[in-house]
Amino acid sequence: MRYALIAILALLALLIIAPPLLGTGWQYALINALIAALFAAAFNLLVGQGGMLSFGHAAYFGVGAFTVIHLMQSVEYGDIPFPTVLLPLAGAAVSLLCGALAGFFATMRSGVYFALVTLALAELLHSLAPHWDEMFGGEAGLSSMRMPSLGFTFGSTLEVYYLTLSWVVICIGLLYAYTRTPFGRLTLALRDNEQRIRFMGFNAHGTKIVVFAISAMFSGVAGSLMAISNETANYSVFSTQVSALVVLHTFVGGSTIFFGPIVGACVLSLFTFVVSGVTHSWMLYQGIIFVLVMLFAPKGIGGVIQAHIEQRHALPWKRLAAPYALATLAGLMVACATVFVVQSLEIVLSREYAAAVARTGEYAPYTVFAREWQVFHPFTWLFPVLLLVPGLYLLRRAFARIQTLWDKDDDDDNGDIAAAPRELMEGGH
Amino acid sequence: MPRWITTAAAITALGVIAPAVQAEPLKIAIIESLSGPQTSTGRLIATAAEYVIDQTNANGGFNGEPIQVKEYDNAGDTSGAATKFREAAADGAHVIIQGASSAIGGQVTEDVRKHNIRNPDNPIIYINVGAEAMELRGKKCHFHAFHFTTTAPYRTVPLMQVMSEQGDLGKRVYSINQNYSWGRDMEAAIVDNADRFDYQVVDKVLHEVNRIQDFSPFVARIKSENPDSVITGNWSNDLLLLMKAVGDANLDITFGTIFMDQPGNVANAGDVAEGHYVAHSSNIELLDEAGTEAYKKATGHYPVFIEPTTLNGVGLFAEALKKVNFDGGDIDVNEIALAMENTTFDNGLGGMHVRKADHQAVIPIVVSQVASGVKYPVDGTELGFKPIKTVAGEDAIYPAQDSCRMRRPK
Repeated sequence: MRYALIAILALLALLIIAPPLLGTGWQYALINALIAALFAAAFNLLVGQGGMLSFGHAAYFGVGAFTVIHLMQSVEYGDIPFPTVLLPLAGAAVSLLCGALAGFFATMRSGVYFALVTLALAELLHSLAPHWDEMFGGEAGLSSMRMPSLGFTFGSTLEVYYLTLSWVVICIGLLYAYTRTPFGRLTLALRDNEQRIRFMGFNAHGTKIVVFAISAMFSGVAGSLMAISNETANYSVFSTQVSALVVLHTFVGGSTIFFGPIVGACVLSLFTFVVSGVTHSWMLYQGIIFVLVMLFAPKGIGGVIQAHIEQRHALPWKRLAAPYALATLAGLMVACATVFVVQSLEIVLSREYAAAVARTGEYAPYTVFAREWQVFHPFTWLFPVLLLVPGLYLLRRAFARIQTLWDKDDDDDNGDIAAAPRELMEGGH
Repeated sequence: MPRWITTAAAITALGVIAPAVQAEPLKIAIIESLSGPQTSTGRLIATAAEYVIDQTNANGGFNGEPIQVKEYDNAGDTSGAATKFREAAADGAHVIIQGASSAIGGQVTEDVRKHNIRNPDNPIIYINVGAEAMELRGKKCHFHAFHFTTTAPYRTVPLMQVMSEQGDLGKRVYSINQNYSWGRDMEAAIVDNADRFDYQVVDKVLHEVNRIQDFSPFVARIKSENPDSVITGNWSNDLLLLMKAVGDANLDITFGTIFMDQPGNVANAGDVAEGHYVAHSSNIELLDEAGTEAYKKATGHYPVFIEPTTLNGVGLFAEALKKVNFDGGDIDVNEIALAMENTTFDNGLGGMHVRKADHQAVIPIVVSQVASGVKYPVDGTELGFKPIKTVAGEDAIYPAQDSCRMRRPK
């Protein structure tokens, strides 16, 4: 626990010190990562802790964003004095209300029916929004400008970054504190066995509404922060894509652990920022990562980290070092082979390349990994095979070895917790 | 937890290695949808814009340096566009080109406006080559935004005028459009011009956007009104399925459309499309053959759909660059913007210029009919777009909107 606190404080210090040294592009990417992290944490309150999978959380994110953009416009025109730093409170309040209302209906059912009701409620907003120009601004959206507050102009991205960081840290702190309260425990019980809660004399429906509303409220804060940082809001924020992205972040990060979705959201947001600047196939890579995580680490990135932390005293680290290094190397080989094939196809099948072939009549060499490749040279296509086949073989060997070492540890001392790593490697229950 | 730190540290280390600032070459950022569902449009815009800039660079570039063009992928959403705008601004972009969506257009033009208020010494120009929302030239207009595409009333007036002259408009006009800002702009334009071209709007329908699979109930409604023509701003599936449903019902009604020339439409609609009208800002049949062949040689295809608009817009920008000279010194973006206001560019159909009041380009509009026997058949069919008449920009354009209050630099 003490180490965890030190690690969190160190990370926080880094988040405070590093951004002034970065360019505005990176600062803005970090703002987006923070917002995604808060959104995923709020979403996970419902999914991971409450056991209710919502497919329409974009609605509460969007409601927060539109509330704040309207308020910002009023402040900009001088109608209402409202400090910029407190804007997310308004988004939180309105999202809380909407969440309570929507939650009342949605939580009457559970499982797939619950997911469908949330999806339907979000779609309702998504199809209503383009018809209501005064409220949602039509296709071009609504726009405003951040006004100075508390001596800050909020003109620079850096100031917005610190505002976002403060709000995200406070909200994630509150969400974590929530899990330690008796009501937080009740939320977990809701996921595990709803019937039992009723027998214990609690009002299950009422509890679910409260959980839903709190989750919606923090989603609204995330939406508010996005409106403040973009200074615009557009009805596309209600689209299923936004709802789907938070599901993706949460499950890649691992919904069973509090910090899992936060890790998933940060990693995937920054991945998108970096990779989308390099290749147009970034969505494919994102999809591959999702599938791999679901297949081989169903508890997500957070689950893998947690398993290691829990077992840190029991694991034979010295004997694990070699197979871990081998697995990393083999993983890199497989990744290189995949990236090589995808990038080669992206270039060779592009219109530009086809036009160049039609113009010059020859298949010019193309560049991947800072080396030129001939399209029809056998080595070009042998190269990924040479990486892929041994890579996959080594990966299997390394994982078999890792599995034995984790299992051996299982036999030696504590048998309970070590069920997790087997599940981790084999990928299923 | 330590893994957190190493990851964060690695990311930080990557970010610190920022490119050093060099002397002033002109930098252009293309912020387009280059992945995701709108890629086909975004790719066309990027290709056409780069084609024009390559030509300028072949003729010596600008300010003694080749113009630098960089593509930024906004992934089709406004948040992505906002991120890429900040990246482009940090890279020192002077000009931003965008066009595949009005939602993203709204984000980019507002980002540019705020950037210019906060950084008056390093302003940025926004060249809009495809976002058609009226509001971008109205409430959201500003000095550094230039709009080279048309809007709903801009294309509707010439469409009506030519259809009326050809005797295909008739007295009974049916209006069917998509229920969002664009479709409503279209409907307003159709209703507003009833007296001018002497017709009656027999019915007007607004329907959901890209959700309707079966248009036959709408066709039954159209049939009951017995119109002479149907005017629609529908695009993509909404246009295609509507035309097919009308064809299946064996109704002999002429369509007046805005987006018939989207690639694939004519092939998908087949013979149903023949005889229908489209109003667009260029038609390859009228263009100089050497120019279109050169374009095909460079890009692998003839300019289609949104590409001519992009060629026009970026073409005028390149023409304006010839009027300013910084002698290899610092680039003054405001001077380029002023030059753009005073530039006339021949786009092959006539002269085009930018209106000072709202920075809407005044472009000639071609009204064409889908017909066989054309020089450039499309989509692998016999059919193509036969130009009927070119309407000069001044005759087609509507007055600037009152909501546009442009503040000019001192």
